Amino acid sequence: MVIWTSMIWTNAIMCRLEELCKLEAHQDRAWYVAWSPSGKLLASCGGDKAIRIWGQEGDSWVCKSVLSDGHQRTVRRVAWSPCGNYLASSSFDATTTIWSRKGGEFENIATLEGHENEVKCVAWAPNGSLLATCSRDKSVWIWEVTEDEEFECASVLSAHSQDVKHVCWHPSKEILASCSYDDTIKLFKEEIDDWTCFNTLQSHSSTVWKICFDVSGSRLVSCSDDKTVKIWQEYLPGNQEGVVTTGNDSAWKCVCTLSGYHHRVIYDVDWNHLTGLIVTGDGGDAIHIFEEEEGSDKNQPSFNLKVVVNKAHTQDVNCVTWNPKIPDLLASCSDDGVIKLWKYHT
Amino acid sequence: MAANFSGVLQITDLNDFITPSQECIKPVKVERRPGKVGKIRVDDDGSYISVSEEGSETKLTKAQITLNDCLACSGCITSAESVLITQQSQDELYRILQQKRDEKDENKKKVIVVSISPQSMASIAVKYKLSTRNTAGKLSTFFKTLGVDYVFDTTFSRNFSLIESGNEFVRRYREAETDKKALPMLASACPGWICYAEKTHGSYILPYISTVKSPQQITGSLVKDWFAQHNNLQPDQLYHVTVMPCFDKKLEASRPDFYNDIYSTRDVDCVITSGEVDLMLEKEAVVLSDLEDRCLDSFLNCEGDHEMRSHSGGGSGGYLEYILKYAVKELCGRELADITYKTLRNQDFKEVIVDIEGRTPLKMALAYGFRNIQNIVQKVKRGKCPYHFVEIMACPAGCNNGGGQIRPDTGETASERLQQVEELYKSLPCKEPLDVCGVEEVYEAWLGGRQSEKVQQLLHTSYHEVEKLTNALAIKW
Amino acid sequence: MSLDNANPVIFEATQARDVSPEELDDDVVDPFDCREIFDLIRLINDPEHPLTLEELNVVEGSKIQVNNDAESVSVEFTPTIPHCSMATLIGLSIRVKLLRSLPPRFKVDVFISPGTHVSEEAVNKQLADKERVAAALENSHLIDVVNQCLATRR
Repeated sequence: MVIWTSMIWTNAIMCRLEELCKLEAHQDRAWYVAWSPSGKLLASCGGDKAIRIWGQEGDSWVCKSVLSDGHQRTVRRVAWSPCGNYLASSSFDATTTIWSRKGGEFENIATLEGHENEVKCVAWAPNGSLLATCSRDKSVWIWEVTEDEEFECASVLSAHSQDVKHVCWHPSKEILASCSYDDTIKLFKEEIDDWTCFNTLQSHSSTVWKICFDVSGSRLVSCSDDKTVKIWQEYLPGNQEGVVTTGNDSAWKCVCTLSGYHHRVIYDVDWNHLTGLIVTGDGGDAIHIFEEEEGSDKNQPSFNLKVVVNKAHTQDVNCVTWNPKIPDLLASCSDDGVIKLWKYHT
Repeated sequence: MAANFSGVLQITDLNDFITPSQECIKPVKVERRPGKVGKIRVDDDGSYISVSEEGSETKLTKAQITLNDCLACSGCITSAESVLITQQSQDELYRILQQKRDEKDENKKKVIVVSISPQSMASIAVKYKLSTRNTAGKLSTFFKTLGVDYVFDTTFSRNFSLIESGNEFVRRYREAETDKKALPMLASACPGWICYAEKTHGSYILPYISTVKSPQQITGSLVKDWFAQHNNLQPDQLYHVTVMPCFDKKLEASRPDFYNDIYSTRDVDCVITSGEVDLMLEKEAVVLSDLEDRCLDSFLNCEGDHEMRSHSGGGSGGYLEYILKYAVKELCGRELADITYKTLRNQDFKEVIVDIEGRTPLKMALAYGFRNIQNIVQKVKRGKCPYHFVEIMACPAGCNNGGGQIRPDTGETASERLQQVEELYKSLPCKEPLDVCGVEEVYEAWLGGRQSEKVQQLLHTSYHEVEKLTNALAIKW
Repeated sequence: MSLDNANPVIFEATQARDVSPEELDDDVVDPFDCREIFDLIRLINDPEHPLTLEELNVVEGSKIQVNNDAESVSVEFTPTIPHCSMATLIGLSIRVKLLRSLPPRFKVDVFISPGTHVSEEAVNKQLADKERVAAALENSHLIDVVNQCLATRR
């Protein structure tokens, strides 16, 4: 099963990932970690139904608060609002909870109901006025945040034919991307009176677990149960390359597939908006870091493996996420209930 | 095929990961016969043959799931579809028509009644570039040529639906002083919404839903009760078909509440959609515009008033408008001339506020489509709904945009087609329900007055919470 | 509830395995073998019949693979009939049993023997989705049934 080429190995040993600290975070599997926009706080959630907020004290990272009364079942995902004053958490209990941060305290200010079953992901739009959620009920919901902190359903999108695993917003445009157990990635935008799916990206042969835009928003990275990572490139109408587009909508094309590196399902991928590095976490307990080759063709880019940590955790790595302010700081969490912070050395 | 149902019903469908063998989770009663069964063999044609120890073979029957089973189950809704196709379709109507032709005994021949909704007439009118009135007349000819005996317009029944809704609202409004659960009142005409509320929100929401039957089901009562009596027929001697803009109406017609146990017959035996009527026209190779223009039948003899009428207030029946006007008149004794809608979050969510002397203003809203239903439902659940009445419909843009309407021609967008249907729908003159010829007479002669017990029995219905599935063997995870 | 397969063929159960002295000695590093994995799952009850998965030949020792170096276990199971609607539940029970019994570092794959079920791919995909499995195990009705399957009868 192990497919090492000597090429990858030489690349890989040039860089390394240093484990900075290990936090025994959750009594059950740790599903997700999210950095606050300032990069100073880390929120985590897991199978113990709790959300924990971590911060640095001196040299060490400590748990600042535990939010344990928000959900009846596993908390699958946490997301900070762009202003950092709100935290949203989505749970297998079919609800999404909004927490308001006042001082050091977190107050539960709203519970968003409507999904039929497990809410798999929640994401704030960059302007903070919209929230997206997705569920095993196959739907993606868009919520509007009103001035008086009410959350109203603005759209229910039933474009996917299966469990929707993840939603994420374009970094600058009002475009929402989602990925699913139906093996596809879908892009949504607001038309005259409602949101609609305007593009479906097909290439993965199994569940797409996670997607992430690069800093420009013209590229998307996806990871899948098919053990590959794919890079998608946006082509605007009238592009020089002659990629066919429809109407005013861009076309998205898979321009690179990273295969052979991962030996089990890839649960998470994160594109560093400061350095352009791509990190993955997989069901083989490993963390991989990839970098685009300098001067590589945008229509046919090459990505090289820079680091692989094979036993990054003792169990599946569920989440890997770059700190938004410190370019080489990475957080990961795992089925082993542990959060680790890593420093990337070149 | 699931796409035919309104979006509201599609969302409640939990059958992601249903393999063919798991499609239906409804427990089926098995009659066990005494004696040992040897083994079961699957034949080439897919039938199951039970082979006893002695070697004798019996073909095993397939478990039958009826639409009622589907409605009573909190599982998927879409497996109801295959059942619907066999029980309620133009093919079923053709079968009944053929049966009638084949029946030698005149007394056993069924009397076939077709009741057409105004939204379907508008949809067919747009497709064949006719006026609504001409379409009605020509459809009447079409159905009668096929062997149908009577063709009615469901608009007549909607008069009763509106009048009863107005009464119920004023009653609830007065009760609201002491009973917090009396308001808001939520409209009941849309079966997609009703089905969703029963399956998903149960006891939180059901008390708020108006008990008034939809125009389709009031037509059902009128046909199988009033019309039957007047023609000396038993309910089961009539076969009643409605033509509707919406697939969900098939589910409504199949509700046990609208089934007559004594005569084993439904108030509406078969629902076909506008699109299915179009398929019938195609099958018969009929050019609708070439047909003769006949008058629709009417339940009463209204001398000199054969004019087709509609109701103001939009393509979903005009419930809000009627209730608002009626309430203002009852509560303040004045006529409300103009109604100004304020569009809120989107085109399918509008509100009306009317000042009432000495009280909090009357607030009503139109909320169409799943997203707007959600916001209303969540607000009602939290006791924060600011409205007195909400006209809820499952389809965005309401009934003229129902899933059973004829699809746009190639090169035409769905919204262009919808706009034309709405224009034709609006083209008919409107009349206040109580002024319509025959309405008072039906109340008196059929129901024994406006306040009678029969009014409750025949024009109102009830809703039932669907219990959440707890049979683990059937849980789809 | 009707039975999918009212009259399954019944197979003879194996005898309990002899336990060697080394296995009882905690100081001896004792790798897992197929027979031990088989022993863990062979007594799982079928959700529909009062029989074990071994008696129904749903699990077989020969369809288990253990790789101690890679710390992985893979189990193939064979539904009694190709359209058995209990296949996902049986697979889930096997998975849960192994999750509860093996050290957490072990990777467990449970799938249908190729060609033995009409929805093989769909069932395998669902069983491999740990998020779906985790959510299923939080459903009290479902976990009750799984626990019944895992309870020892004798």
